[in-house]
Amino acid sequence: MATVNRKWTDGMLHTEDWWAVWLGLIMFFAGLLTIWGVDIVGWMTKTKTWEWGKLWSDPSFNKLLSAAHSKEGQTYAGLGGLGSLLVTYVVFTTLTCIGAYFQKLDVKKFFMGFTCIFFITWAAWIIGHEAHFKALKTGQSITQSEIYGDNVFCTTKVNKCSAQINKALKGMGIDVMAGQVPTKEQAAAAVDKSKNAIRMSWGWQLGGGFSYMLALAVGLIIGNFFKGFANFLREGAKPEWFIKTAIVYLGIKLGLMSMKATGFALELALAGAAATFVAYLLFWPIVYAMGRKIFKLRRDASAVLSSGISICGVSASIATAGAIRAKPILPIAVSMLIVVFAMIELVALPTFYAAVAPDQPIVNGAAMGMTVKTDGADAAAGAILDEMMVANHYRTTGETWEADWILSAAILTKIWIDVFIGVWAFVLALIWVYKVERKPDQQHVGASEIWFRFPKFVIGYFIAWLFYVAIAVWFPDAIKAASSGAGVVQSPMRKMMFMLTFVAIGVITDFAKLKGMGRLTVLYAIALFAVIAPIAYVVAWIFHHGMMPPLASG
Amino acid sequence: MKADVELNLVHDGDNWIARGGEVVAVGETLHEVDENVTHALRDSGVFPSGSSVTVFMGFDFDTIPTWLRQYHAHYFNRYITVNL
Repeated sequence: MATVNRKWTDGMLHTEDWWAVWLGLIMFFAGLLTIWGVDIVGWMTKTKTWEWGKLWSDPSFNKLLSAAHSKEGQTYAGLGGLGSLLVTYVVFTTLTCIGAYFQKLDVKKFFMGFTCIFFITWAAWIIGHEAHFKALKTGQSITQSEIYGDNVFCTTKVNKCSAQINKALKGMGIDVMAGQVPTKEQAAAAVDKSKNAIRMSWGWQLGGGFSYMLALAVGLIIGNFFKGFANFLREGAKPEWFIKTAIVYLGIKLGLMSMKATGFALELALAGAAATFVAYLLFWPIVYAMGRKIFKLRRDASAVLSSGISICGVSASIATAGAIRAKPILPIAVSMLIVVFAMIELVALPTFYAAVAPDQPIVNGAAMGMTVKTDGADAAAGAILDEMMVANHYRTTGETWEADWILSAAILTKIWIDVFIGVWAFVLALIWVYKVERKPDQQHVGASEIWFRFPKFVIGYFIAWLFYVAIAVWFPDAIKAASSGAGVVQSPMRKMMFMLTFVAIGVITDFAKLKGMGRLTVLYAIALFAVIAPIAYVVAWIFHHGMMPPLASG
Repeated sequence: MKADVELNLVHDGDNWIARGGEVVAVGETLHEVDENVTHALRDSGVFPSGSSVTVFMGFDFDTIPTWLRQYHAHYFNRYITVNL
């Protein structure tokens, strides 16, 4: 049976975009039940930071994983690490297989592929949480290494470790907050008493970013060196679906962050919208002119490529091709190019921005959102950049930025871009029908085209965000209870969807596809790195400079 | 917008094909498809000669490769008015 968008409700059951909304909102509302003292999401498993020597001496899954239950869901603690992982697998496999069925995917193949990707993802996530890769040094080890030593690392949030050590010292009668200084022996005893501080001879201090990079590397190795296995996984490798679901969960996180910093969240959203609008007006005409004048591309090829490079990758190229009534083979070819280049950006840009502008976290995030094409690659790059910059800043200053603001900057600019796609495609359709094809009396362009091209996951994102803002405004007494369940959804669930995206995006990226793309590849590379990236950075700086993430509390 | 005739539109790599009920119109360009739709409607005898007919053509998104559908869910719909 054909799939044609006719009514405004079409697609609600069979597109991955809508299924991101459904998966997102199911967990969003499930998480909200903690307001009434009911925890139905606490079975979700979460990773723990572990140290291989300790695991080797006493192996246990409970050292690697635990249930993420809230105060209300203590019974889930009995599941243990392995039990909570299995429940997580069953719940998410069931939900995604239902979604796959309605999306008309091959459910059997999807199930097999998703199962493999799920366990590969968790293996990479667990390995990435080994303390030598992940753990950061404690604040005391950075700022007072002559007393505490420079080898004290923390297996949880560094602020917690600092507080634990200070509390232990206070128990010994030394109040460091009042300016008292412990001896080396007293400091060592306090470190030993701290639950989450450990001494290690070396550590890379990469934070959660190492897990992301490891997952991406594993995916890319499978996608490029084990192509038979990659084909087996392909039906279950849906990075756009996974990341859009994660973005709905991120709406919860932004809602929680807005409770503490409403003004900053609003400023970030508005600056992102303004920057995106300005960047749009610059990117598209420049790339279109390059395609036509320098590379002598046909009008339709130049338009599709311009949208793909300068707006939002694959979705923009499909929307533009549809708007100008191009043959479908054109956006398909351009999309292959975009997916591969997005991977190159994802690998290169976070490290580049973090190294070149370590004091501009929000500018870097916003520039990332305007430069990296495809939602999956952008969110993935934003997540790596966030982890990398927060860890780098802490290592150099001892100051901890609150996590996820840099990621939010990357996502917000990308979301505005996604929203504008429908409007831009509609404008292009009008130009094509009434100017280029010149048959105004014969053809009509329906305004419904804007709705059909509107990214639906954005609806879930804003529902989640604004719901929590509404709780903060109208029911401030419920904030604590609401945050409890929301914490499970916006943290381990969201991060799992990010991790699934990293593996899946690697699996579907085959660099060999660049062969034979000729002029398109050259134009894409020049436009991306010589035009889009520099302009995006300048525009991001104009609208975001001076904005800094709030400091982490605790 | 209401249409008198609804057709599904696909592209087979060489030609656009609009199909619905007994109407099938093929063309290398959409302009050719429109002309052939007009002929097909005229031949069908469903509408009286001289009438103005609004035709809806919705692109069948199932013809887009599966791996690409996760990025976007709509190609295009179009309305044309033909005078028989």
